[in-house]
Amino acid sequence: MRTITIALIISALNIYNAFSQTVRKDSIAAIELSEVVVTATRTEKQLGSLTTPLTLIKKSQIQALGALRLTEVLQEQTGLAIINDHGQGIQMQGFDPDYTLILIDGEPLVGRTAGTLELSRIAVNNIKQIEVVKGPSSSLYGSEALAGVINIITDTPQRTQGGINLQYGANQTMNVNGQVSFRHKKLGVYLFADRYSSQGYDFNPDVYGATVEPYANYTFQSKIKYDFSPNLKLTLSGRYFQETQEQRSEVGGNTPLIVSGEGIQTDGNFLMTLDHRLNKNLKLQYRLYHTLYDTESSLRYETDQQMFAESFFKQRFTRPEIVANYYFNTQHFLTLGVGGTLESVRATRYDGEKTFNTQYVFGQYEWTPAKNLTVIGGARLDMHSVYGQQLSPKFSTRYQLAPWLALRGSVGVGFKAPDFRQLYLNFTNTTVGYSVFGTEEVVAGVDRFTQAGEILNVFTDPSTFTTLNPERSIAYNFGLDMKWKNGLKAEVNLFRNDIENLIETQIVARKTNNQSIFSYTNLREVFTQGAEVNVSYNLLKNLQIKGGYQYLIAKDKAVVDQLDRGEVFKRDPVTLVTTRVKPSEYGGLFNRSRHMANIRLFYTHKAINASLRAVYRGRYGLGDLNGNQILDADNEYVAGYWLWNASVAREFGRLVRLQVGVDNLLDFRNETMIPGIAGRLWYIRASLNLGKQ
Amino acid sequence: MYKSRLFLLLGLLMAFTACKKEESETVTPPLETLTFKNLEAPGDEIDRGTGQIIKANPFIYFSFETGGVVDASANWDIGFKGTTLVFNGGTSGSGQGGALIQLGTFDEKIEAPESTAFRTDSDSEFAVPTGSDNGWYNYSGPPNFLITPLAGRIIMVKTNDGKYAKVEVLSYYKDAPAQPNAFTDQSGTYTFRYMYQADGSRTLK
Repeated sequence: MRTITIALIISALNIYNAFSQTVRKDSIAAIELSEVVVTATRTEKQLGSLTTPLTLIKKSQIQALGALRLTEVLQEQTGLAIINDHGQGIQMQGFDPDYTLILIDGEPLVGRTAGTLELSRIAVNNIKQIEVVKGPSSSLYGSEALAGVINIITDTPQRTQGGINLQYGANQTMNVNGQVSFRHKKLGVYLFADRYSSQGYDFNPDVYGATVEPYANYTFQSKIKYDFSPNLKLTLSGRYFQETQEQRSEVGGNTPLIVSGEGIQTDGNFLMTLDHRLNKNLKLQYRLYHTLYDTESSLRYETDQQMFAESFFKQRFTRPEIVANYYFNTQHFLTLGVGGTLESVRATRYDGEKTFNTQYVFGQYEWTPAKNLTVIGGARLDMHSVYGQQLSPKFSTRYQLAPWLALRGSVGVGFKAPDFRQLYLNFTNTTVGYSVFGTEEVVAGVDRFTQAGEILNVFTDPSTFTTLNPERSIAYNFGLDMKWKNGLKAEVNLFRNDIENLIETQIVARKTNNQSIFSYTNLREVFTQGAEVNVSYNLLKNLQIKGGYQYLIAKDKAVVDQLDRGEVFKRDPVTLVTTRVKPSEYGGLFNRSRHMANIRLFYTHKAINASLRAVYRGRYGLGDLNGNQILDADNEYVAGYWLWNASVAREFGRLVRLQVGVDNLLDFRNETMIPGIAGRLWYIRASLNLGKQ
Repeated sequence: MYKSRLFLLLGLLMAFTACKKEESETVTPPLETLTFKNLEAPGDEIDRGTGQIIKANPFIYFSFETGGVVDASANWDIGFKGTTLVFNGGTSGSGQGGALIQLGTFDEKIEAPESTAFRTDSDSEFAVPTGSDNGWYNYSGPPNFLITPLAGRIIMVKTNDGKYAKVEVLSYYKDAPAQPNAFTDQSGTYTFRYMYQADGSRTLK
């Protein structure tokens, strides 16, 4: 099967011999011609012509927010919630952060902690635009693209210019960054450097250690472009990030001891791209990508500097890939790709080095039978060294019903491969005493404890933990795009995701120390469904208003069935009286808000730019308090809240720009439930731009 | 038409007599629902580094007949130690005791199951299985490490002398705090609700 598909691709590449522009003009107004996006189809497309929902965030918008890190940009977008779980990640269409693929220039970032990729690792001042695709994109990108894809597209050397930004704000947050770009004939060079530091903050001065400890990080990025000819272009880009954060905590019981140290995380990536246009109809792109993510931390007793705990984690990811675009005529367009990935992890919590490799092929066919109708079908086959094959098809279409109204619809499959942790983790918590084993390690792990006589009883036979299957979803998205002559725009998207094989921790055995041994199993089936609406309108010539809303239902299917059978009970924690839970009382999965909304005002007048943005996150479940492990009681929710952000910027000629702003204007805090929200934060920024106009 | 009226009349008559009959029987009052607070039964203390038992703790035994804690030599019904429950029968004792977990509310369970339906403790498994979500409790694991009694799990009990009772564990922490904290509240301290039928019948109401 594999060889046949590859042979097909190679012959496809050889046979066809013609190429022309992949960006086809349509009836979109000239002002939006610059709104070209690449993430939805892996080809350049007009934003207004897509068959799937996509949010485009341009550089000017990022600047207007006064944002420095990616989290600050994403948290103001409709339908995205920042989730704090071993780092700040994004929740999309009700999926946890594990299920959104994060790309930089089309290549994945690695280094997730308990499934969350810390988005504040990413500086935003070198970003050209951010594209957020909602709905599964595994048919193009493979694993992790269940909920969607966030593609961060960095600046390219367009012309010779340079600039410096300085920002200072609350919590002694300081940012300095600069970039230079150089373009001469066939050569373009872009360099970017950024330093970000913060003193953090502490909501709990009585407890040793701060809520957020001081940290500092550096980002460097470079891009070199060389055009051998108009038909052969080379791009080399590299990015390096390093963050150091202080760590302090109290350990021990009656006589607490202070341990302290440093945690360092490093993240680097390198991408080489060769674009080769063979002829009018055929374009080839060769890509070679390598990325690494390392963390290390050490904690020592402050009294005698003896080592308390030391850990490291090193992940590597390498991917060669060839993508071919073949343009038959205005109606038919084909994309084919073939590639492979090699991944490895070495860490304190793993036995030796663990490796994965995957080979994959994908294809996508775009058909435009009429000027107002686009149909796209595609599929990707991933062949993984541990869990086998995975086929992810997707079908989508767009129909322009009237000049002001277009319909969009898609059906697609998304998947997420079991990660290293779920397969290979070999970890025993030394302070508490529990153990977690990946499914490939659990038999040996339990054996070891059995021989040591440390197993009290076994609940699930470890040999029944077979290799995990990928988590899989089928998603349906249906949308309307509306645009009126008076400038009013509205987008509606309805979505439904049915997810099966969700990987959960399961208790395997109990040890003589009364602690458990955990492993992972494919267990749950859940669904998420809802609606998203985005509206924008020019209230006045200088004043634009944007609004967004998402309604979301996300439930565990097994719990829904149990509720229907009357098998779920709750115990009032105060009166201790137990009653049956009604199906209508089920609030769905924890940490999901039924309602999220935003209202944003942007004002532009001559050299002044100002914005006032309000983001609402409705109430969401935090944890069970009445003995049934599900969300069903009012006191299990965190109350909904608004965050108000404002900024004003003024340009002085073309050279200088000053900006002041306040995030969380009303100083909203919920120290115990949401420690990640720091309270009111002001900042001031000065920018200097130099360059030929 | 006439016929149906007659049936209605007959029905009413029967209902009336049935009521009468019940009233005459319920001279014996309904069984009392009792709550036992803070039965202290800590698990063994274990060195977390080595897994060795530092201090082995005994089972703490409870008798429905006396309504309190009794010695191991007495006619006990339930033994508590950590999260483990044992019943006086099978491998745990010389009595006829056993247990069976049933789903429902305490008030709904008005009759004990047939004597043969009860499980006894054995070498391979306890009558009330141990482990999170297997028996009477959920163990949350990190970060809260809480033991929470599962709502709607009623332990039907056969006592050491073959009588019946039902038990609902309400809390595993001292004084049954509404929001227990595994780090500060004393664990291994049971609060439970029970009803005991002393006449040997299976009625539990």
